[in-house]
Amino acid sequence: MPPTASHHGAKSKAELDDLGGLIEKEHLPAGRADLPEPLVAHSQRERILIAMADACAAKGFGATTIADICKPAGVSRATFYELFEDKEDCLQASMELSLADTMGRIVEIYSPDKPWATMVRDAVATFLDLLANRPQFARMALIEAPAAGGRSYEMYASGKRVLQALLDRGRNDPIEEQAIPSSAARGALAAAESLVVGQILAGNAERLPELLPDIVYIVTVPYLGQDEALRQSREAEKSRLPGAS
Amino acid sequence: MPQAKRTERWRPPRGRHGLPPEVVARSQRERLLEATMRVVAEKGYAATTVADLTKQAGISRTTFYELFADKEACFLAAYDNVVDALVRRVSAAYETEERWPERARAGLATLLEALAAHPAQARLAFVDVASAGPAAQRRFRAGVQRLTPFLDEGRDFAPNGRSLPANTSRMAAGAVVGLISDELLAGRADGLPNLLSDVLFATLVAYLGPDAAAREVGEESR
Repeated sequence: MPPTASHHGAKSKAELDDLGGLIEKEHLPAGRADLPEPLVAHSQRERILIAMADACAAKGFGATTIADICKPAGVSRATFYELFEDKEDCLQASMELSLADTMGRIVEIYSPDKPWATMVRDAVATFLDLLANRPQFARMALIEAPAAGGRSYEMYASGKRVLQALLDRGRNDPIEEQAIPSSAARGALAAAESLVVGQILAGNAERLPELLPDIVYIVTVPYLGQDEALRQSREAEKSRLPGAS
Repeated sequence: MPQAKRTERWRPPRGRHGLPPEVVARSQRERLLEATMRVVAEKGYAATTVADLTKQAGISRTTFYELFADKEACFLAAYDNVVDALVRRVSAAYETEERWPERARAGLATLLEALAAHPAQARLAFVDVASAGPAAQRRFRAGVQRLTPFLDEGRDFAPNGRSLPANTSRMAAGAVVGLISDELLAGRADGLPNLLSDVLFATLVAYLGPDAAAREVGEESR
């Protein structure tokens, strides 16, 4: 068995500093991102996006029809087609919203001066809160978009690349001499994602924040080693206890 | 490795053949599940119709609806079939070794080789299932969980096993499946066996940490 792709050392500094560049290229929100809160149906467009997310949660994107979306949204077919080209376009709009939100928050959390482990913990906590607050959109972004292919899939994949780059900054920390495979960030993220998606599909999206200690462990262990990752996980657990400062 | 040419599946003779009805039904069901795998791999789940399936399987529409309520039920049965077969093979390979890291390596190597040898099944079980609606997505997550009993043994092997998070095996299973799905989405089914060191690291790192995981992967790949 040839040792494929396994023994890359630390990534080059230029590659790691690309994180800022990656985010810049993604869809950022126009203004400053507010604290996570359920999306309010201010406009027909938002009502349609909410109705589509609900319909997809019940039937899946493939089986959802325009009628399934229009009826609960209280809009006519004509209005739907004024705002969106088709169902795929509507899914893309929903993805753009989710991606902009997520990236906006990552930009807020991200700072080159912050310890990497703190940044990762903050990012995971924020991400879980965001998903728990908008369960239908969590479903669209993590389940329907990757399955739909096309532009929606590309947006999902680009969001994931940003998170991978964020994790791979951990390669600058003490164990950089270790032989961590280049796929470590993808593997760690897939592990976290699988747990999150399982929880959403089981209808427990509101309990996602409880997964914080487990996810902090799995995404930091390749970079920090087991003892330190377990310590970070316990810290994350403490930060979740009521009354913790 | 050159693929053996597909041999036609046995079909009962037409007309009055005197075969017991349950034998006929079983053969029809198998043909239908096989056909489902091939058609869905070719057209995708959404575009597949019951007519495509009956045509490919050489059965009537009436027979189809005697066997399954709808396309979704038939697809889920095909999915279960694929996963059952994969779990059997992984389990057999896993049992050939003693030490847990080697058991994991043997199981994962067999999984990757089986998927590379049957790309249509691999796509159905890892890619198509994700786009086949909520019931299929839930079944997929349940399928991923079938890897966890093999992984849970890592907790007994790991020196820190008792302090590991409760969801360690679910997360490690998710890492394995995620890395495999990425490869299949990129159209690289035949290269899956090359992924062994990556999926093995992703599994072992969750239980043993990066140093021990890298050491085990290095030793295994020699």
